[in-house]
Parts: sequence; structure tokens; C-alpha cells
Amino acid sequence: MSRLLDIQSLSIGFSAYGQYRQVLHNVDLHVSEGERVSLIGQSGSGKTVTMRTIIGTLPMPPGKVEQGSILYDGRSLLDLNVQERNRLKGTGISIILQDPMLSFNPVLTIQRQMDDIIRYADIRLERRRTKGERHAHMIETLRKVQLRDGERVLESYPIMLSGGMRQRVLIGMALLNQPSLLIADEPGTALDVTTQDEILRLLNTLVDDEGLSLLLITHNLGVVRQMADRVYVMERGHIVETGTRETIFEAPQHAYTRKLMAAVPPLYGDKVQTVVHHGADPMIDVRAATKDFQTRGGLLNRATASFRAVNDVSLTVNQGDIFGIAGESGSGKTTLAKMIMGLTTLSHGDITISGRNVAGFAGSQEFRKLVQIVYQNPGSSLNPRRTVADQLAVPLKFTGSDSTAIKTRISELLDLVDLPQNYASMYPHELSGGQKQRVAIARALSVNPKILVLDEPTSALDVLVQSTVIDLLHRLRREFDLTYIFISHDLSLMRNFCNRVAIMLRGEVVETGPVAEIFDAPNHPYTRALLSAIPVISPEEDALKPKITQEERASVLATSTLLEDE
Amino acid sequence: MSVIDDHETPDHGMTARQMAFFRFRRNPLAVIGALIVLSVVIMAVFAPWIAPSPESAGSFVNFRNRHAPPSWDNLMGTDNVGRDVFSRVIYGYRVSLGLVVGVLGVAVPFGVILGLVAGYFGGWTETIVMRFTDIMLALPPLAMALAITAVLSPNLVNAMIAITLLWWTWHTRLIYRIVKGQMNEDYVEAARVAGASHMHILFRELLPNCISAVAVKVSLDAGFVILFGASLSFLGLGIQPPTPDLGTMVATGSEYLPEMWWQAIMPGLAILYAILGFNLLGDGLRDMLDVEL
Repeated sequence: MSRLLDIQSLSIGFSAYGQYRQVLHNVDLHVSEGERVSLIGQSGSGKTVTMRTIIGTLPMPPGKVEQGSILYDGRSLLDLNVQERNRLKGTGISIILQDPMLSFNPVLTIQRQMDDIIRYADIRLERRRTKGERHAHMIETLRKVQLRDGERVLESYPIMLSGGMRQRVLIGMALLNQPSLLIADEPGTALDVTTQDEILRLLNTLVDDEGLSLLLITHNLGVVRQMADRVYVMERGHIVETGTRETIFEAPQHAYTRKLMAAVPPLYGDKVQTVVHHGADPMIDVRAATKDFQTRGGLLNRATASFRAVNDVSLTVNQGDIFGIAGESGSGKTTLAKMIMGLTTLSHGDITISGRNVAGFAGSQEFRKLVQIVYQNPGSSLNPRRTVADQLAVPLKFTGSDSTAIKTRISELLDLVDLPQNYASMYPHELSGGQKQRVAIARALSVNPKILVLDEPTSALDVLVQSTVIDLLHRLRREFDLTYIFISHDLSLMRNFCNRVAIMLRGEVVETGPVAEIFDAPNHPYTRALLSAIPVISPEEDALKPKITQEERASVLATSTLLEDE
Repeated sequence: MSVIDDHETPDHGMTARQMAFFRFRRNPLAVIGALIVLSVVIMAVFAPWIAPSPESAGSFVNFRNRHAPPSWDNLMGTDNVGRDVFSRVIYGYRVSLGLVVGVLGVAVPFGVILGLVAGYFGGWTETIVMRFTDIMLALPPLAMALAITAVLSPNLVNAMIAITLLWWTWHTRLIYRIVKGQMNEDYVEAARVAGASHMHILFRELLPNCISAVAVKVSLDAGFVILFGASLSFLGLGIQPPTPDLGTMVATGSEYLPEMWWQAIMPGLAILYAILGFNLLGDGLRDMLDVEL
């Protein structure tokens, strides 16, 4: 097979703030015709720089190619002039970006945006097509990405489509001008796991049917296992290991690859750790909790419609539990957590914590010393303009500690989350993602709460960092006898972290129980659909996943295709 | 103890302040702006020592030397009563900067606090504050200022009051918009969960996130306040003679145009110089602090 894309000892550096730093070191990578190749690595490893160099969108300066070449179909991309390069856009190399919402212009219809792509490619290639021909081509392309009701999609604005449909349209746009190489940057990672699964299947089908070559850039090893024939592992701008999918997954050689593999929480198999805890004392009692949100509008700001975010949820969390609330976006899991925190009032039902109703209890100093929260994104939950010490001091100050006590406590807290003392005077932007999340955990712990609500505390972090934060949470729980409520969409992680889980779908809890039971013998079809969609990293795990029929799937999932038959 | 972890820590071997200063230094216009502003401030503060003829600032007359064109003795010539225009410009900066400090010293804190309160509390507070701001913004500023000074009798203090009454609205709007955006950030809720008071959240959490925008706006504003004050004085409703004010000087000087051009043009250029400096500085700060106005 001939090499369609061939990157030879590519080195790239950046100059910023008067300093020069090399970000890619002698990168060798090739994609043969019809091959699916994957480039994996953590954030900051140089994946995106590599991609942007290939498609020619790396700003130079500050970027600079030190050495090396990129051959596409035998032609050196770095030596082509602008017109020649542009001619390859969409027709030779095409790209699917990560976020299906951000990749669209929100004020233009899909039709207009797709038409532009065809028209400009036609102009570059000096082709002429009538409006009707272009329209027919769009419909045909949408059909390829399994959107049959093409007319309706074309008339829509991006906001009117679901996430999965947007991703499909985006893939369709990349295919409009029959490229031979498709570069996918984290496809589907912004989507729910069930939708992501559909998208990955679609990509696989397209690569086969259209004879495309695929370069997949991702950090998700499970996705790589489903999608790639060959894998490159990148660490700090170096390709540290390369090989076929089988060798990489079954016999990884490089220490970094092994570390990455080991950090992925297993879903099934021997490596799964089951947390067992039999707490007897109920700590949190949720009784028939319901939340309606009103949409307001019109001249007098009257309620025009209402939306039930949480519907009749009842559950009990015992002292010492790590209680997982799992669900996809929009399932109401965060609303439920906010109700437990007393941040959102209930429309119906009751929540009691330690025997006291949250409705009157929340807002009191006592409540704050009992329940605290760790947010998903430490970049947003920490104030960018205040030092670590300032932020850790806030809960202490408002529960009546004096300044010497605050100082001692801050120093204790930093020790507790394994951060050096001198971090107290730093600002959040001087810390890495994992370190920021440690500060957020320290802040939540500062007043010695009994319950921590963890709202996806690791989903903004890389997998290696995630495992260190999870270890920290385990240790803190043992040390301080904490009860956790862990909200997440990552079921693999929950399998190993929680002792009990509740699965939520459209505001309702469909299934709840000890982790081992839920994962090994899921009752509800939705739980099965979720579990079977998770990309895992070994065939053993795949074999142990629950099976689900097409009918069951369709009964619980709104599919993003508009096919009447499949 | 293990120091964690990933390699995404931003590392240029510099602190944020050093990085911001680097961006500023790389922008020659910003540096020029800063130097201009610095020169204006120095002239204003040390006017008695810098002005070649300090007595020109008052009601000094020297009819023998009136209407003298620019020369080494009188860099910008002399005016209709023989006062040194250059000295009067230097004292004029003193008055202008006094006006800037007086106006912005009151209008900015007032506007910022209203914006913070409206954005943070929302609801009725927001409606009342922001609609009132809109009404104030709907009034034509120069006409309003003319009306106010005309009623209160024209002098420096009343000009200051008039401009202040109109100026705070821009800051309210700016801060309101920033706070609205910041309210979506989790740190505000985190502070609430931590039990922080409203005062704490407003002034310790939200205000620090507005400061850079205020700094940029203030430096851009300074130029406009000078211009606004000069416009009022030009129309005879601002600062009254013999206080040396750039606007008044342009007004009196314009009677002798075009032959004795320096009497109007020189103070005019002085106004231009100061405004240019503040605007360049403001643009530079905007790039340096990375804020959108």
C-alpha cells in the first residue's frame, strides 16, 4: 500500500514571550491508503500542533518548522504555495473538528453552510455546478451520514439539531468534496456515550464504503481500540511508541503507553475494583423529589411552558457511601445534586440530610459545615483573580475562624491534598488542571464537612491526572469518614469508585443498587444501552458487556439518525 | 511529598504580570502613549517649575509683548494680553487633569458599584438600575451638560458635576455586562456555598475580575473627559478666565485666526497631544490585559 500521508522527522517550535520552545521532536508518522491511524496522547502532547501543521492552519510565526517534511500523495505540503494548498482543502484532506456546536455558524442554515463549502471548492478546482446539482449532492451526502430527511436538515439552523445530528452533518460537510484523507479531532468526545458510539460506527462505515483514510486524534483509548488499525502514542512532542492496534493494546512496550493503559478504569474483568461499604445510617434521604423549570417570556414575563428536569426521584444515601449518580447530559443529575445542596428549591417532595429538611436547613452555618461541593471545572470554580490562600480562606472566614486559625488550616489543607506550601500565594492560572482541582477539593474540605457532592470532578482532566485525583478522594474519605455523592457520565470510572449507583434517564432514576449488581446484571434497557456503548480497551471487557437488541435500544434512546429503516 | 503532575502547566518562566508587561513593551504605540501621558502628568504636577513664565497662568498682562509669534522666548507665542501660551498650556494641563481626576474619581466608583449590584442581584434591582442607566444614556450629553452648567453658573466645579452626572452610566453598563458573564462561572456559586456574604462576593470575588476592564476604560475615558471639558469651556460654560483652560484658550484664540494662529492652534494641539496619549495608553492596556470593551 502506498503512503497517502507521510510525515518525516517533523520538528516544530514556538516562540512566545521572547523564549523559544520546541513542541514537536522528530515526529515520524504515516497513513497508508485506506488505513485508519490513530494519534493518542494527553492534552499538551502536541497532537493538535501536528494536525494543524498538516492542514496548514498553524500560525507561523509564532510557530516554526525546524526540520522535516509532510508528504501528501507524494507532494511536499510544506513547500506548496497558497493556491496549491487551498486546492487540497476538503478535496484532498478534510477535517472533522471536536465540538459540533462551535464548528457551525449559528446564524446560517445548514444549507447555506454546506453550499459554501461546495461552491468554494468548485471555484478552486474551476468546476461549475448549478444550484440544483449542488443541492442534490448535499442530499446525497447527508444520506451517506445516515440523515435521510435531508431537506429538513438543510433548512435547519444548527441550534435546531441534536448534538448527534450536528456531528453527522459535520462529518457530511467534511465528505462533500470527496477527500481521500479524513482527519478527525476527538470526534464525538463532546457527545454522550451512546451518541458517540453511533458516530464512531458511522465513521467506520464511511471509511470502508468511501475508501477513505483516517487519521484520528484522540486521548480516549477506548475510541482508539474501536477505530484504528495502527496507533501512534505521543508524549511531550515525541512519538514514543507505534504499532498495530493489537500490539499496542496487548503488549505495550513504552512505559508511558503502559501508564496510559493502566490509568483507564476497567469496566469489566479482573482488574475491576469493587468498593464495598455497608453503611447502616441513612445520611441523605430524597423523597419523591421533583423539579419543574418554567420558561418565561412575553410582555409580562409569565410562565409560558414548564420543563420537568427531575421527576419523582427517591433515594437514600447511607453514611460512608460513595453514591454515584450516572446519566447523560440533560438527565437531571446536576439538578438533583443542586437540590441536595439546597441551591435549587424543590417543586415537590422532600430532601432530608441527617434528619433535617434541606428546605429550612440550607444556608445555615451548620449546613455548610455538613455538605460541600466540588465542581466539574476548576477553571471556573476557582476565582482567577484570587490566590489559592484567599480562596481556601473563604469558607473558614464565614464559619467564624480567626486569622491565625485560618492560616494554620490553609497550611494543613495544602498538605492534605499533596500540594507544596508555597502554592498558597499562587493564582489559579499558575497551576495545572489537576492541581487546580486539588485546590477545589481542599476548599470543600476546609470546614470539615461530612458530605461532599462531587459534580464530575475529573471529567475536565486527563486520564493520568484523573487517577491521581481519584486516589486522593479515596484517601480523604478513609481519613475523614466522608460520604460522597459522585455525579458523572463516566460509567467505567464509577464502577471502580462508587459502591452504589443510580442511573438517571430524562429526570427519572431508572435503576439503583450496588455497583456490582447494576453492572453485572443490569435490568433496565437504558442501563444496558449505556454500558454497551462504552468504548473499552480490551476484548475481554467487550465480551462481558451486556447485550442489547436494536428494539430495546430504540425504546430508550432517541437516535440521531433520521432513518425510517436501517 | 509528591508534586503532581501533568505537563500542561503554563510555563514561560514568567509570572502573569511579567507576561502582560512583555505584551505591553512589544507594542510601540502603547509605550509612546504611556510616555505622552507621563509627560502630561509631569507638566501638570510640576507646572510652577516647568513653566517658563508662571505668572502667565493668572491675570498677568504684558501689552508690550502681546500677539508675539512663537520664538525661543515664547515657544508657543503670546496671547492677546501678552501672556506666554506655552506656560498657560502647562497650567491648562493641570486644570484638565484636575477635571479628569475629579470626574472619574466620583463617576467610576459610583458606576462600578451600580453595575456590580445590578448584575449580581438581578431581578428588580437590575431592572431599575439598568433602565435608569438607559434613560441617562438617552440624553444628549453635551446638551445636558450645557443645561446643567447654565443653571448652576459656569465654573470648574459645576462643569465637573455636570460631566460626572453623565459619565457613570458607561461604567455601569460595562461592569454590568462583565458581572452577568461572571455569574455563570462556578466560583460565584462556590463562594455562596462557602457561606460568603453579598459584600464579600461583590467586592472580593467579582470586583477583582472587573478591574482590568475598568483600568482600560478609565485610561480611554481620561482623553474624552479632557475633550468634553474643553468643549464646555470653548462654549463659555466651563472654566472661566483667567484660569488657564485649554478649551477657553482655543475659544479666545480663535478670534485672532488665521493671522495669529498660534493662540488657538497651540492649545488645540495640546488637547490633541493629551488625548492621543491617553488613547494609545488605553489601547495598549487593552491588549496587555486582554479585555474586550
